[in-house]
Amino acid sequence: MQLLPEAVLVLTALVLLGVTVAVESRSGRAVSGGLTLSIASAGVLLALLALFRVPAEGGSGTPLVAADSLARWTKGVILSLGLLAVLLPPAKREIANPGEFHALMLFAMAGLLLAAGTNHLLLLFVSLELASLSLYLLAGFPRTARASEASLKYFLFGGVSAAFMLFGLSLLYGFSQSAMLPVIAAKLGAAPDSALAMAGLLMVLVGLGFKLAAAPFHYWAPDVYQGAPATAVALVAAASKVAGVVVLVRLLVVGFHAASGSAAWGGMAAGWSLWLAVLAAVSIVFGNILAIAQTSVRRLLAYSAVANSGYLLVGLCANGRSAAGAALFYVVVYGLATLGALAVTAAVEREAGNDRPESFAGLVRRSPWRAIALLVFLSSLAGIPPLAGFFGKFALFSAALAESAESGAAGLVWLVGLAAVMSAVSLYYYLMILKQAFVMEASPSGEIQTHGISPAHALAVGLPAVALVVLGLVPSLLLDPITSALGELLAAR
Amino acid sequence: MTPAWTIPSAFAGALLVLLLPARMAGLSRVIALASAILGAVAAGSSCLARLGAPDAPVWSLDRPWIPAFGIRFHLAADGLSLALILLTGIVAIAGVLFSWNVEKRPRAFFAFFLTIIGGVYGVFLSRDGFLLFVFYEIVILPKYMLIAIWGSTRKEYGAMKLTMYSIGASALILVGLATAFAASGGTSFDLAHLAAASYPPALQAWAFPVLFLGFAVLAGMWPFHTWAPTGHVAAPTAASMLLAGVVMKLGAYGALCVAMPLFPQGFDQWRPVIAALAVIGILHGALTALSQKDLKFVIGYSSVSHMGFILLGLAAATHWGLRGAMLQMISHGIIAGLLFGIAGRVVYERTHTRDLAALKDFDLWKTLPGAALGFTLATAASMGLPGFSGFVAEVSVVIGLWQAWPWLVLAVALGIILTGAFSLRALHKAFFPARNATDPAPRALPALSWPEVSAIALLILVSAAIGIYPKPWVLLIDDGLRSPLFQSILTKP
Repeated sequence: MQLLPEAVLVLTALVLLGVTVAVESRSGRAVSGGLTLSIASAGVLLALLALFRVPAEGGSGTPLVAADSLARWTKGVILSLGLLAVLLPPAKREIANPGEFHALMLFAMAGLLLAAGTNHLLLLFVSLELASLSLYLLAGFPRTARASEASLKYFLFGGVSAAFMLFGLSLLYGFSQSAMLPVIAAKLGAAPDSALAMAGLLMVLVGLGFKLAAAPFHYWAPDVYQGAPATAVALVAAASKVAGVVVLVRLLVVGFHAASGSAAWGGMAAGWSLWLAVLAAVSIVFGNILAIAQTSVRRLLAYSAVANSGYLLVGLCANGRSAAGAALFYVVVYGLATLGALAVTAAVEREAGNDRPESFAGLVRRSPWRAIALLVFLSSLAGIPPLAGFFGKFALFSAALAESAESGAAGLVWLVGLAAVMSAVSLYYYLMILKQAFVMEASPSGEIQTHGISPAHALAVGLPAVALVVLGLVPSLLLDPITSALGELLAAR
Repeated sequence: MTPAWTIPSAFAGALLVLLLPARMAGLSRVIALASAILGAVAAGSSCLARLGAPDAPVWSLDRPWIPAFGIRFHLAADGLSLALILLTGIVAIAGVLFSWNVEKRPRAFFAFFLTIIGGVYGVFLSRDGFLLFVFYEIVILPKYMLIAIWGSTRKEYGAMKLTMYSIGASALILVGLATAFAASGGTSFDLAHLAAASYPPALQAWAFPVLFLGFAVLAGMWPFHTWAPTGHVAAPTAASMLLAGVVMKLGAYGALCVAMPLFPQGFDQWRPVIAALAVIGILHGALTALSQKDLKFVIGYSSVSHMGFILLGLAAATHWGLRGAMLQMISHGIIAGLLFGIAGRVVYERTHTRDLAALKDFDLWKTLPGAALGFTLATAASMGLPGFSGFVAEVSVVIGLWQAWPWLVLAVALGIILTGAFSLRALHKAFFPARNATDPAPRALPALSWPEVSAIALLILVSAAIGIYPKPWVLLIDDGLRSPLFQSILTKP
């Protein structure tokens, strides 16, 4: 019963493939994108419903699948964000076969769900690979040179990082003779300085750093964000990032908290906390500075993704409940904002033919609602109240400071200060896009024709915008479930 | 009417204006005026109620908001807050009147304008650090939009510079607040709670300058003041009035009510530095104003100089000093609004130049006598002549300074002389030029419209009222300064 949502997703994907074949053999033409989009979103909705039917009590019957409330929460979030991504229709000229495209989306989501709900390292690896392989294919779906480059880069970097991860997992297994996270954690608690375990953990972090697009493992991100279909990017940017953070929380904050070391100023000690702090600092500086120079909005969003991974890692490296909770809050809010921004970008791109900031000129005149939604998304990313991104950053930084302050006075101030200042820098490049949309008039020569967007696309733009405003005003709606889910897990710590 | 009316009146006005159908865009200024008057009346009646019953408990509104972080929706209105929201209300009315003829996108203009007003009310009333910061940040995007869309003279550069300074300063405030939160146990953001906690001196020594600098940048402290003249000049008239009139006061208010009470020992350590920077600001601002060619730049630099008095009063940390700083905030809010209104709206809209040399040809005291009279009175008030608010404020600051550092009074005296010099120079060149009999006769200019006359009259009357009978304002301020927040920073009663 625990795997009901995953089963629903996989079944729907198979139905989609069947329908594709049936329609093609019947009419000789490819199935319409609208039909596959409807089936896929119905499947995701069904999986969400199934998630509510999964019994909360009683365990899963197998140690492979965790039945805790963090898993339930994560699956709900991944399915919701995945639904929004599915709703964003791929451009017709990009996708020759929408049936396969949407089936792959569902497979990827199934992989992410499995990864979020397991304490077994091997199942974790297999499910992450299921998600990754689907995403490599999705990225290369359009038959363009750019998409092929994106897909190849994604695959090559992904393959190497998967190898690192697998090697790390094997070292952890060698250290503890077990692939179960609680067992390894208990062994590590008894011998926190084991070089073998540390080496294994470090390699696993390399693999997960790739998933999160944390610098210096981010080289795939700009090309994928630019070349892949917007729908696939939306899945990579939102749902896949949530899964990545949850896996990190499970692995580090819940499991290996004994080996955290410290990144506090003046009291640094080797351990994952310090490594994450370094990754965070590099990602924040790199992402924000490189984003300024971009002339493609999608690439800009990719570098912003790198920077935002850095903020998330700040929360994780504090190694505490409320900071980890703030990181989970932030990744959801970040996912919503990026997904929405991608949906607006996709709409603009289809009208203007490219995603340069200048194509956004005069957007507020052309399509005022899309412009206002864009304002919401980018302001949330920049951390402007009253949007959820603001509370996310505030909570992240405050909690990271509060939880690192116990040991010494300064704690993580160096990292939080860096993050806060660089986050101010990020407003610059978000404003460059907003300036085009709100301040500039579209040049009369290059008048851009507006055509409406499909209802599904409008939902993919509208729902995240509403969610960001609501969560900004009442953050407890999202924060309280996270706190209780983490509390349950961390009580055992 | 309680102060609770002020914030919703502004935000509801903004929303209403935004939702107006396009054919009723002309109505937006009426709605904006009604909303500004409603806010000002609420503020004024609250002030009267407070003066009538000074021993009654202060009005407050305290609701839980985000329990996980101990954040409450806590507003309260002591004398300081009341005086400042009344100032905001008055400047808001004058701002709407001076923008009565905005033709370009009036709905968006007034929506942004009222959003700033609402945010400013919010900051002045907040008693929770997080809430204060939310309101503080809400004004950032509308500021950018007002300048970038409706501004003049390098508007995009000015807007971006101002925004980057603001957001960078906000990052410092965020770090400072989060540090206080962390070091006080991480349970509450309530300002009284944060101020009651005791922080180690080593922490105060670095946390105070971080937090104070964050606020002081917005208050235009030398050498972080350069955004102010550029931004004020680029901004449309109503935005210059708001920026110089009330938004800069947010910085001074935050320094007084957040930075100083939170870290009193840090403040005591850094007081001499603040005083030195304030004196440099007074002299540097005045000297720079003396050499400007653009009338608005003269006023912009005079703002920097006048804001120096506020910082000096704060640094003196005596009762007279703080009272003088508060009086100067109110006085400068009114006078800067008046000067910017006349220079930016009344004169520039008719002559299309603010160049002091070019204005000679218009012989303004003959062609625009109302504006000349208004500017003369405003200049007198700005120079600190008795009978106007500036005199009361500067005398109080000087008394406070005498108690703290008597020899600094000399430098301030020099500043006051320079203020007279640049004010008279600008007044003379712009309005009473020396003309030869052979010069061509100036062309006739349209007479002042009723909104302009009423705005000028309103501001002059308020300034004169404070100058002639300052007692109610002093009572309000003294009432606020009795708060336990300030007892730890006062060096002399």
